[in-house]
Amino acid sequence: MKFLSIAAFTSALILGGHSAVSAQERGGVMTYGRYTDCLFLDPVLNDANVDIWILTNIYETLINPTDDGLGLEPGLATEWALSDAGDVVTLKLREGVKFSDGTAMTDDDVVWSLNRAKSPDNGIWNFMLASVDTVTATAPGTIELKLKYPDPTILSALSVFNSAIMPKATFEASAGATDAEKAQEFAKKPIGTGPFMLDSWDRGASMKLLKNPNYWDNGADGQPLPYLDGLTFEIIPDDATRILKLQSGDIDGAEFIPFARVAELKADANIKMELFPGTRVWDIIINVRPELGGNPNPLSDEKVRQAMNYAANKEALVQVVTFGVGTPLSSFMSTTTPMHSGDGPLFPYDLEKAKALMAESGFPDGFKTSILTIAGNQDDLGITTALQQMWAAIGIELEIKQVDNASRTEQYRAGTFDMRTGGWTNDIADASQITSYFAYSPTIDALHSGWKNAEVDELFEASQKEMDVAKRTAQFARIQEIFNVSGPTIALYETPYPVALGSKVNGFVQIPLGNNIFRETWLAK
Amino acid sequence: MHLASFIARRLLQLIPTLLFILIMVFALVRLLPGDPASAMLGDRALDADVARINKELGLDQPIVVQFVVFAKSVATGALGNSITLKVPVAELIATRLPITIVLTLMAALIAVLLAVPLAFVAATRRGRMADSAVRGAFQVGLSMPVFYLGLILLTVFGAQLRWFPVGGYGDGFLDHLHHLFLPALTLALSLSAVLMRNLRAAIIEVIDAEYVQFARAKGLPPGLILLRHVLRNALISTVALFGLSIGTLLSGAVITETVFAIPGAGRLMIDSIYARDYPVVQGLTIALAVLVSLTFLLTDLVQAWLDPRVAR
Repeated sequence: MKFLSIAAFTSALILGGHSAVSAQERGGVMTYGRYTDCLFLDPVLNDANVDIWILTNIYETLINPTDDGLGLEPGLATEWALSDAGDVVTLKLREGVKFSDGTAMTDDDVVWSLNRAKSPDNGIWNFMLASVDTVTATAPGTIELKLKYPDPTILSALSVFNSAIMPKATFEASAGATDAEKAQEFAKKPIGTGPFMLDSWDRGASMKLLKNPNYWDNGADGQPLPYLDGLTFEIIPDDATRILKLQSGDIDGAEFIPFARVAELKADANIKMELFPGTRVWDIIINVRPELGGNPNPLSDEKVRQAMNYAANKEALVQVVTFGVGTPLSSFMSTTTPMHSGDGPLFPYDLEKAKALMAESGFPDGFKTSILTIAGNQDDLGITTALQQMWAAIGIELEIKQVDNASRTEQYRAGTFDMRTGGWTNDIADASQITSYFAYSPTIDALHSGWKNAEVDELFEASQKEMDVAKRTAQFARIQEIFNVSGPTIALYETPYPVALGSKVNGFVQIPLGNNIFRETWLAK
Repeated sequence: MHLASFIARRLLQLIPTLLFILIMVFALVRLLPGDPASAMLGDRALDADVARINKELGLDQPIVVQFVVFAKSVATGALGNSITLKVPVAELIATRLPITIVLTLMAALIAVLLAVPLAFVAATRRGRMADSAVRGAFQVGLSMPVFYLGLILLTVFGAQLRWFPVGGYGDGFLDHLHHLFLPALTLALSLSAVLMRNLRAAIIEVIDAEYVQFARAKGLPPGLILLRHVLRNALISTVALFGLSIGTLLSGAVITETVFAIPGAGRLMIDSIYARDYPVVQGLTIALAVLVSLTFLLTDLVQAWLDPRVAR
């Protein structure tokens, strides 16, 4: 057992970090403008970013992701250890943690929460804890997870929202016969250990959170966190209205600023235009099945795909679509993903090379194909109209098909599409999730593209059991090398999260996984 | 007695209409590509999860069984549970439809208050400056897209002059009305243009009618003539048009509610269609159908009052 004594290290880090910041002020209610409302405040049964990115303010996990999204830091557990064989996790629980209703967090709550999160009957995130066999409290305040097999991702998985700790007794006392029914009742008035608790929720209009008076952690001034008395989410779906409300001082922050408005808001002296590093990648997903609708599929030709890659000027797309906010991708995963590898842009623009590759391919005279985009989505439209022109230069005639999201998902899942615009953000600080969906064919046929590479599949399976960090990094490097050259995507660019804040707002962060962290946010008077 | 049987007859006619809508909406949401589970789980959904959730939702049942479940939920008034929001549909409609109704009513009121006096001014000064000015201004109102008009009003009267809030819905009844004024005005402008043109033409038609000339010859005061003889007769066709426009106003509310960040039924409908939230789309469509049908009934009653021949 190699016990990492993280507590001492972290407290030094926190103290050190805080002394550099100017004095935090307490009090006030921050109003944050969101483009859409939460759907379901259950950490295990939710299925959308609109919930995930907010949940950590109400419910907390044993381990937390660091603000840079690459590492781990103590949460409701103060220290943890993974056995040398990689099949037992031991966690020491933080003492004195209370839920927002004042009841103490018990070992029983932790065991029950993790068992609920790993149950295959519950939600769509249980795969994160698929390696967990049993969860037991071996001594007061000590939790042991026995794994079915060595799992290098288990510590990161324990920092993901679905492993959050909930109060067993209150949950089970909720009305309803099944777990799903109880969850619906419980989520109306959720209780967690997070810095905030739900006060009222006017669906589609606003969600009001109040500071949790029982929160366990202290701020830089030695008083309990959070600094804010309350936090209100206002739902303002229209981008222009959301920005107008921020500029007029009605709200203190606004999420999802359109790239086109970033430069203008940067120049506004009353606004802090933040670009938080994200794990958001943008790409084109290509169906590479040899036949589509009974006809030979030119997109199955690797040379064709490489020609399309060289002909797609990503630097130009970054300028045109993201107004310079994005960065061309150097791998299919973002640079903020642990074990990302690759330096320099993939397939730098080279029209001559593209033409030469087309001439060598099975389709030297070009062909007609199509791409599915979301109707009304400006980013999608910008990307595809630019690609239409860029690919015309190598004889590819691109038809842009605008549909609604559910229609696109249906064609995508059925594998009947030619191409589609794609996007991704990580939920876990590990390379495995994105790789599993993008490259490992058993999960979803490599983005439903029909692409399959035996070496990638083998490497991925090995990486899921490899406890040696260096070896695992090498495995992911090789997977990225193969996928980036011959895979079923055109990797375009990665973008940060554009958030605009009022000048009084301090200490807010959106981490690369997308979570909005208001724990140490404060308003200057 | 005439009126009572008229109302009863119309309410009876409502039953087959609603039955038809019930079947149509049930079939139409299922004809949309995609299904609730994959819409909800998105691009990353695994086949097993999609199948499991569709089963939980009862969508693996034969279509007839699903319809019976749906019809029962309508009959009890509960309308089932929202798939995405996990709350009863009746509860959602009860909180969000009233907002849209108040918005629509306010818009209708503003439209009438604008259209009627201006139609009089335009009609009585036919071909003169005032007439051209009124008609020109309304032409602009009619041709401007709702979202653009809304954004201009928000910027000028909200952000700059601060007379009204910059979107949102506020707390408390008076605050709600304050928040709803600009969106209602946005909706009202294009409707009032239509009403104004119709009423102006009707007034011009009536104003030269023999009975009006006769009233004038009798020496009745001009104000009384306008109110009792001209307006009452000119309004008949405009009231019909107004009733028909309520449906248009309700659909205009979808865009207005988005621009002004109002948590009404229009936005709920759009979100639910995108999410393939069948119970909400079904429930809301039925509620809106009832609402529009009642509006038509009310329109007919007003027309009958203006022109008793209508009720016969």
